[in-house]
Amino acid sequence: MKKRTGYATNAPCPVILSSPTRFQRVKFAMNPVLGSQQWLRAPFLRFFSVARAGILSAQSALFIGSEAQRSRKPALSLPKGTCFLRSCCKGGKPQHDLRTGSIISVALLLAVLPACLSVPLSAEDSAKKVIAISGARLLTVSHGTIENGVLVMADGKIAAVGEAGKVAIPKGAQIVDARGMTVYPGLIDPETSFGLIEVESDQNSRDLAEPSDEIMPHMHVADAFHAETELIPVARLNGITNAVVAPASVDTIAGQDIFIQLAGADRDAMILGRDVALAMNFGADQRRRGGRAGGHAEFPSTRMGLITQLRQTFLDVQDYVAHRDAAAKKDDKADAGKDTKPDAKKDDKGDKIFKRDLKLEALIPYLKGERPVVIGVYEGYDIETIMALAQEFHLKVVLNHVTHSQEVLDKIAAWKVPVIVGSIYDFPRANERFDAVYTLPSELAKRGVKIAISSADAGGPVSSHSSRNLPYAAGFAVAYGLPYDEALKAITLNVAEMFGFGDQLGSLDVGKTANVVMANGDPLDVRTDVKQVYIQGVPVPMVTRQTKLRDEYSK
Amino acid sequence: MHTSESLRPVVRRSLHFDTRAAGVIAAACACAGLAAAAHAQQTQPQDIVFKNATVMTASHGTIEHGSVWIHAGKIAGVGATVNAPAGTAVVDATGLWLTPGIIDPHSHSALDSDVNEATSPVTPSMHMIDAFDNRDKALYQALAGGVTTELLLHGSANMIGGQAVVIKNKVGLDRDAMLFPNAPGSIKFASGENPKRVYGSRNQLPSTRMGNFEVMRQAFEDAKNYMATLDAYNAKVAKGDKDAIPPKRDLKLEALADVLRGKLYVQIHCYRADEFLTEEAIAHEYGYKIRAFHHALEMYKVAGKIAPEQTAIATFTDWWGFKDEAWDAIPWNAVMSMRQGVRVALKSDSNDHIRRLNQEAGKMVHYGGATEDEAIRMVTLNPAWIIGVDQQTGSIDVGKDADLVLWNHDPLSTYARAQKVYIDGDLFFDSSLPGLGTPHFSGVMHGDNDAGSDDEEDGQ
Repeated sequence: MKKRTGYATNAPCPVILSSPTRFQRVKFAMNPVLGSQQWLRAPFLRFFSVARAGILSAQSALFIGSEAQRSRKPALSLPKGTCFLRSCCKGGKPQHDLRTGSIISVALLLAVLPACLSVPLSAEDSAKKVIAISGARLLTVSHGTIENGVLVMADGKIAAVGEAGKVAIPKGAQIVDARGMTVYPGLIDPETSFGLIEVESDQNSRDLAEPSDEIMPHMHVADAFHAETELIPVARLNGITNAVVAPASVDTIAGQDIFIQLAGADRDAMILGRDVALAMNFGADQRRRGGRAGGHAEFPSTRMGLITQLRQTFLDVQDYVAHRDAAAKKDDKADAGKDTKPDAKKDDKGDKIFKRDLKLEALIPYLKGERPVVIGVYEGYDIETIMALAQEFHLKVVLNHVTHSQEVLDKIAAWKVPVIVGSIYDFPRANERFDAVYTLPSELAKRGVKIAISSADAGGPVSSHSSRNLPYAAGFAVAYGLPYDEALKAITLNVAEMFGFGDQLGSLDVGKTANVVMANGDPLDVRTDVKQVYIQGVPVPMVTRQTKLRDEYSK
Repeated sequence: MHTSESLRPVVRRSLHFDTRAAGVIAAACACAGLAAAAHAQQTQPQDIVFKNATVMTASHGTIEHGSVWIHAGKIAGVGATVNAPAGTAVVDATGLWLTPGIIDPHSHSALDSDVNEATSPVTPSMHMIDAFDNRDKALYQALAGGVTTELLLHGSANMIGGQAVVIKNKVGLDRDAMLFPNAPGSIKFASGENPKRVYGSRNQLPSTRMGNFEVMRQAFEDAKNYMATLDAYNAKVAKGDKDAIPPKRDLKLEALADVLRGKLYVQIHCYRADEFLTEEAIAHEYGYKIRAFHHALEMYKVAGKIAPEQTAIATFTDWWGFKDEAWDAIPWNAVMSMRQGVRVALKSDSNDHIRRLNQEAGKMVHYGGATEDEAIRMVTLNPAWIIGVDQQTGSIDVGKDADLVLWNHDPLSTYARAQKVYIDGDLFFDSSLPGLGTPHFSGVMHGDNDAGSDDEEDGQ
């Protein structure tokens, strides 16, 4: 965990529900079931650290109950045994007048310990609860908008979705009055660096790419993914529930992506898919040129070199597969002594040993067309070049970026490859109209291309600190001609489908994972405030390191 | 707070008239002929009445179905109706929004990467105008996002950087015609990570925040000494000493003296709460005022202390985590600081975000519940104040420059596109035109440097 000011991350500040301030009107009580990763990971430890702080410093005031309970109209009924803590700690110093003396405070704290321990402690327990969101405008993505809808979540899945009155709400379900709210599937960011970076300028927190070689398919993002990153809760707060994590676009073949859920007990629970796609890049940035920044040119320093290197690599994989299969066949014959292949040797026990090449092996599923290859490429002529190679080896291509490809859009449509467009904020060339890139999602969709939109900022590497702005990129595409429904699909269902999760995620359909977002308006508009995020049917506390700072300094 | 006009800094270029103005004029004359051939020149703007617009004035609320009258490049009327003479051209703005031009108080556009003279931590005699490329495509792309005025600042590599240039975004006119007339001078200071990284990496002073601030204090001590020498000379002259020898002019110390004389607005790149306090203390110690903290991501922690200083902030809406000193950034910073009495502007520091500052303002409705009026002011009137041109532009008020943007949608939404952009009453961008949509420009722009930010790469 990063530092920084010395209080927020380390101090015991499990603020679950802050009082409504003029900056944040809390309308929905939060169920403190699924916390930030730290909270989830060790609820007991965390709680005892609170207790310890209370005892040692006598500076914690504890409030039982919630603002919502005290308000006239609780929007959510609270589960029995729920307790809400509001810590007043900040840098170990009291921040406001304690309403009770320190001794009473400690006594109170100890008194409620058993009550707090009855809080459901795992997502699993809580997922058994049935929640019905009622009265909202439902943007289903797959089958239109339901103006006055009901969505039922049970066992982590969407159990029912439809018009109010036509959907039976199970007995005992917790009913969320969501009149005036808009409800939509959790957003999916098709290119992030979550868990590969914490502070951009801090090399120690960067695991973005391995630049030592151009061909690095055996770099597995799963090996570097830091599940406790602070970036994830920040994005989640604005309705991002799933994402692809990819290495930065430095190498020709940069490594293999993971597909994650933005909540979970630990890394393994958050990674829904390892090695779901191969990250490739082609263009000027991949050339090893040295240049003003220093260094000297080395192979491949031109596009000719890049393509030759790629083609040779793919041929090497084919050769590797042939040898491996041949060795396996001989092995099957169980007659080890006759082998003469240099790479298939006999060990002392007589078993067949085939020296694995992890780099080449990593590429096999992609050369078989089993998994998608996401190719980052910008210029039209580069797209034509790399697509020729991809077709030569029958790769299953997803094009990424394509922001300077306006002259080959018809070709992209003819290839029938899906495209991650953007960043929509990439700059047009100097001779182009200001909206040459803004209109790209619309122009591609018009041609029948399946598109996704990522949160990437213009020009540079992906900055997932701004992943929370993903819906605004889609909204901006709408401003420049993309139909609204297509824009929403481009950050939900289309992404899920591109990466093999279309049957589980991306729309409000029965049987899909209950990753659901409730907001006070149009999700694509910058003014809209997300009120509650559900992941696997569990309401996620709307708390991040940033909301904690906000609340501390709003007192 | 001293708000009297006497404290208003002098026009930036006047100090250098002796040494440079002649050259500038000569160059301007030489260019005029070429420019006329290359571009359509600015013509006397037509008088216009916009009718039935949603007029967001930035100074006195929003007028539904309002009218605005432009006469001779100025706003001549605003309200439910205006008293324009019969025959004035009418633009039917039914279903459209009209706002003041967007103003960016922190841009490094159009400088071809000449953002930092990172060869010394004190470079106050650098003038950004010397690097200003008025054909850079970034200016056009910002114009299409409704930006009419920009403060082009020196970067943050140096504790005391260079002097800014204020432009009106009149894309297509020649360089001098793009300078904001009579805008006060501003100088860029920095603090924190960038100076200490740039010089520390070379094993030079400063390599710590202690070093940073000591470099600054030393510079002001040098300036005070220079001023004392000047005073002594002037005293001799006043006494009639005809043999008195004038001290050698030192451009660096002269610029610093102008800071101490209050002739330059001080714009400080500063992130951390403790550094705002140190900067204010040093400003008090040496007797100058800080016009604005730029970035100012931790202002929400000490806004109550800074508000009485009348120092504004020019901040990002939601950037965070790009460096250690941006780790405590929260998107509620702007509104929280505003509620504590700090004047808040939003800024781009980016050729990307400058194109949609209106959306950045919209985020303030989301993050902290700013009213639409407060939000639009953060990208118009408040940045105008930071630059010191709030008497001329930044709101839709009678007498001000007719710097206006007509939008197809609520400008605080994601969906707004600038339809037409007027500067001094003249149409500089019209999205309905084919090609670039620039009535005053046709040709080829410059610029492959897309970042437009000094904060990381160019800080070196």
